[in-house]
Amino acid sequence: MAPVLEVRGLRKRFGGVTAVEDAALDLREGELLSIIGPNGAGKTTLFNLVSGLDRPDTGSVRLFGQDVTGAAPERLAGLGLARTFQHGRVFGNLSVLDNVLVGAHARLRAVRPAVPVLGPLLELALAAIRPGGVRAEEAALREDAIRIISLFGERLTPRLDHPAFSLSYANRRRVEIGRALALHPRLLLLDEPTAGMNETETAEMQEVVAGLKRSGLTILLIEHKLEMVMRLSDRVIVMDNGRRIAEGLPQAVRHDPAVIEAYLGHREAGAAREPVP
Amino acid sequence: MTPLRRRSLLAGLVAGAAATRRAAAAETIHVGVSGPLTGPNAQYGAQWKDAFDLALAEVNPAAQRQIQYVFEDSQSDPRQSVAIAQKFVNDQRIVMELGDFSSPASMAASPIYQRAKLVQFGFTNSHPDFTKGGDYMWSNSISQAEEQPQLADFAIAGLGKRRLGVIHLNTDWGVTSKNLFAAAAKEKGAEVAAAEGFLPGERDFRSTLVRIRDSNPDCIVLLAYYADAATIVRQIRTLGLPQAIVAVSSVYSPKLLELGGDAVNGVHVITTFFPDEPRAEVQRFVAAFRAKYNREPDTFNATAYDTMILASTLVNQFGATRAAVREGLAKVRGVPSVVFGSMQFDPNTRRVEGARYKRLVVKDGRFTLWS
Amino acid sequence: MGGAWFDYTVNGFVIGNIYALLAVGLALIYGVANLVNFAHGSVYVVGAYVGWAAITYLDTPLPVTLLCVVAVSALVGVGIERIGLRPLHGSSRIAPLLATIGIALVLDQVVQLVFTPDPRAVPMQVPEWRVAVGGGTIGALDLLIAGIGLTSAVVLYGFLRFTKLGWAVRATAQDSDAAQQMGVDVNRVNMAVFAIASALSGVSGVLVGMYYNQISTAMSFEATLKGIVALIIGGLGNVPGAIAGSLILGLTESYGIALFGTSYRNLFAFVLLIAMLVWRPNGLFAARRALPPEPMTGTFIARSRPVVVPRWAVAALVVAAALLPLLGQPYLLQIGANSLMYAMLALSLTLVAGTVGQVSLGHAALLAIGGYASGLLAMDAGWPVALSIPAAGLVTAALGTLLVFPAFRLTGHYVSIATLGIGEIVSLVILNWTGLTRGAIGLGGIPPLEVFGFDLGSVEGTYWLCLAVLVLLALLQLRLLRSHLGRTWRAIRDDPVAARSYGVSGDRYKALAFGFGGFAAGISGAITAHVYSYINHETFGASISILALTMVILGGLGNVAGAVLGATLLIALPEAFRFLAEYRILIYGIVLLLLIRFRPQGLMGTV
Repeated sequence: MAPVLEVRGLRKRFGGVTAVEDAALDLREGELLSIIGPNGAGKTTLFNLVSGLDRPDTGSVRLFGQDVTGAAPERLAGLGLARTFQHGRVFGNLSVLDNVLVGAHARLRAVRPAVPVLGPLLELALAAIRPGGVRAEEAALREDAIRIISLFGERLTPRLDHPAFSLSYANRRRVEIGRALALHPRLLLLDEPTAGMNETETAEMQEVVAGLKRSGLTILLIEHKLEMVMRLSDRVIVMDNGRRIAEGLPQAVRHDPAVIEAYLGHREAGAAREPVP
Repeated sequence: MTPLRRRSLLAGLVAGAAATRRAAAAETIHVGVSGPLTGPNAQYGAQWKDAFDLALAEVNPAAQRQIQYVFEDSQSDPRQSVAIAQKFVNDQRIVMELGDFSSPASMAASPIYQRAKLVQFGFTNSHPDFTKGGDYMWSNSISQAEEQPQLADFAIAGLGKRRLGVIHLNTDWGVTSKNLFAAAAKEKGAEVAAAEGFLPGERDFRSTLVRIRDSNPDCIVLLAYYADAATIVRQIRTLGLPQAIVAVSSVYSPKLLELGGDAVNGVHVITTFFPDEPRAEVQRFVAAFRAKYNREPDTFNATAYDTMILASTLVNQFGATRAAVREGLAKVRGVPSVVFGSMQFDPNTRRVEGARYKRLVVKDGRFTLWS
Repeated sequence: MGGAWFDYTVNGFVIGNIYALLAVGLALIYGVANLVNFAHGSVYVVGAYVGWAAITYLDTPLPVTLLCVVAVSALVGVGIERIGLRPLHGSSRIAPLLATIGIALVLDQVVQLVFTPDPRAVPMQVPEWRVAVGGGTIGALDLLIAGIGLTSAVVLYGFLRFTKLGWAVRATAQDSDAAQQMGVDVNRVNMAVFAIASALSGVSGVLVGMYYNQISTAMSFEATLKGIVALIIGGLGNVPGAIAGSLILGLTESYGIALFGTSYRNLFAFVLLIAMLVWRPNGLFAARRALPPEPMTGTFIARSRPVVVPRWAVAALVVAAALLPLLGQPYLLQIGANSLMYAMLALSLTLVAGTVGQVSLGHAALLAIGGYASGLLAMDAGWPVALSIPAAGLVTAALGTLLVFPAFRLTGHYVSIATLGIGEIVSLVILNWTGLTRGAIGLGGIPPLEVFGFDLGSVEGTYWLCLAVLVLLALLQLRLLRSHLGRTWRAIRDDPVAARSYGVSGDRYKALAFGFGGFAAGISGAITAHVYSYINHETFGASISILALTMVILGGLGNVAGAVLGATLLIALPEAFRFLAEYRILIYGIVLLLLIRFRPQGLMGTV
């Protein structure tokens, strides 16, 4: 069976700066692969290249066996790829529920008939008329969204109607993950899901991610909190200066001299929040 | 007009209103005015006011029915002119409406006046369709169908020119004028070598003039207002074009001399109003205007003055009702007029014919009769 | 013809030279404050009149004249910064832009009240010698203007590179929050920049006044518009680029006249603008093709919780509105009908600008398309009015969406400028496509409103028709907003990148919004055309676009009830202010500014 994600020889330069150089990775069904490395190592750029927000200069990306190098993010979402963003990009003026429902956009079928040319007009008409099929679909999505939101316990459920801008930082990250899950992704890209969270919140988030993994979801994770990485990951890739400097099982990577060097070297910049022992 | 003067003018209006209210038992007749007091055309509304006040100061004291005008600022904007129209048609005091300034503003309000059978007297609306809006739309604005042959005659028979380069304002007025001019010129055996339309507000005509120059005209014809004409003539001169310049009557204004400076010397203009004309109506108007406002009147002042005199004549001769004003317009004969000498309307076109044209040339910074 | 082309080129440079003085100031302000200053042309007019007053009343020689102009204009610039920019830090991103529009309104009115709208001649204070170049001549003033343009660009460049304040300006331009943390007094920097840019604008006003021997209060909008086009060509915020952009604009206009005639001049300028925005949004001289990032501080719209009007209250209001004609007040009804027509336009704009975040400054063009479509269908094709109006709505939906389509990839201020340009293009095409539209003569004799023989031409009929159409459109829009489209549109507005990552195609949903909005605006334009009976290319001008945007902001971006309220207030207020005569537009501008300052989310709140 083809790997879920297959990246080969990916390179991206901004001006004179190389952000990602010769990146390669394979991700198999049900696997959780973590990417770690100091700030500026190119992790988020790699995410952007994989999720279609940036085009690579060279190299290829294959998703579920299809070549999707340079494909638009809309198309990737349709294939079942969902991502979260490093600094959080919730829709500030939308309610918690609406944020999660936008995540389910790619799953809309009844209201978005796959008709060429006239499709958009039909969509407008169906949104206005709302026949039974459309209403049922919307109700089902709503129910599903509420179920997803309940994954975070009582954190979000009482706030379904609150605009996202009124939420705490940690809650916004939860909304973002909820939005990603509403896509029913086959591949989930999480960019620092616990950034800015305290210990309790981090532990909760770790449980959520562990649960997703147990349910069989394939996950690519960027994370600075090494303890979480060690506990959850099947494999770990370490990046520095745009390059992969190590790859392997969590315990093996942890003791790799190159990794220790990279982290220690960047320590003064305050990159690694949990220095390697 | 300085702000101080403006304020005193307003105060005067208020005082006048109070005075007429006291004499309400005697006949005070109201006419509505819809025109621009703010916005880009505000200067024209201000000129109307001056002329109206002058005319009323002359005719009201002796008249049995005294006119008072209600001026509503429309900014010459159709949205506001239609609201004003509703205001006027439902104000039973008002027996006649004057304005608006621009054709879009006037013609948008026409259906309302027509429906209510209140005369809309669009005294600046030369748009050929204005009086076609209904039998309550009348105008004493100079007909371009009459003026353009006069202008063509000046250039062709008067100055002996054969190849004409036309620069016209690209508005309803300008395009109508240009078409009529071209037809008249052809009839008189001359050729329009080029016709260039410019948008209101343009200031740079150099490239337009290169096009005109390269069509090799022996005369440049300006169908514009005085402010634009001053700019165009200056640029004609700085480009060193030697051709004679002939301009339409809306270019005649004391402001042309101020804005054009030395460059406008030698410009030929036709006009219906010329202060040095010895005719009695003209001399009385000019003297009174100078005495009251301490400056030279122009064609806009003259037309507005004529219009208010006409309004007074109508209500005093034919009665102070809307129907009487409508009937009066069709019947009235020989109303003294600065522009026309004497005014009467063609009941079919609802316009005035027989404007008297003078041919002028600018000499040493002054308008003088051309001979 | 070779000689003629040389002359066209020289003329292009001469006029471009004049645009450059405006564009340099605009570039500087954009570079530092990320703001397209719509009040720039008004400062230019202030400068022109200050210069005129100094020469006329004080008999000042040229250097003193310029000094007066610099001093007053700089002061006005500082005022703009204090009123239009500083207090709005942290409010919605569009607020400062709107504030500059409001300031422009106020400044223009003040100048008009003080100096009257009569055009004035500015005495020439520069030697009148000229040299022949090709078929034309170039005078001392041309060289002075070029000299001031170039010198100011060089001095600005040096100032930005080599002085401490200049360093601070550049740091602020890069990232104002970071600059602030690094100890740069951002307010002082902004103030300095506005003072410098406004002084330049004022000087160009008086010099251009001398150049044409004429100034008038009406020249401010044209100046702003040309300056902005030049700015876009050169690249927003790029000072040397602004000069090059101005020259290119001048050349384009000149060659446009050479090839097609004078009436095509502005059409060429605006087509160039749109082409630049689509193909090189960073300007000709930018290295990268991608758009620069929008400032990340603040959200697109002001955060607020909308005022919720209970359903029974809405129903009661609609019933009350329907009963209004029974009062027998036709003047009131006409204002009501006007308000309702504008409310349809505001509905359309609040969807596009508020819900989807595409702040259109050319929305009146949709009215024009609707008005002409219905007028021509009724007059030339003989359609009954009851069919031509909905058909005009559909035509406007299709045409409007197609026209704006190239601008869909743009964001923020670029959208506003592109739509402004598209609006001008529509008006100029109507003017020049004489065969279809009758050009400047306009459409006269458009048949009155009627529905299958039932006459609606009376003010009551018009009012009831407008009310019925508005209620239908509003209900439909509310229904769409409550469907998946509502959240999808708002998601695109809040974060287009995140939306795309969840499969939301920006183009598709922007097109749907413009399509529905175009329909509503087209209907509004069509009804207006039948009520007015006469329209021409000026009936639906840029001032109406700005008025519509004001209505939408006043009501609260994206808020359907707010759009109706905003339209009603802004149509009724100028009527209510009638007793203020010449002062009413000034008061209106001040009210607008106060509103942006103290209630940026609008009366009903943003949605």
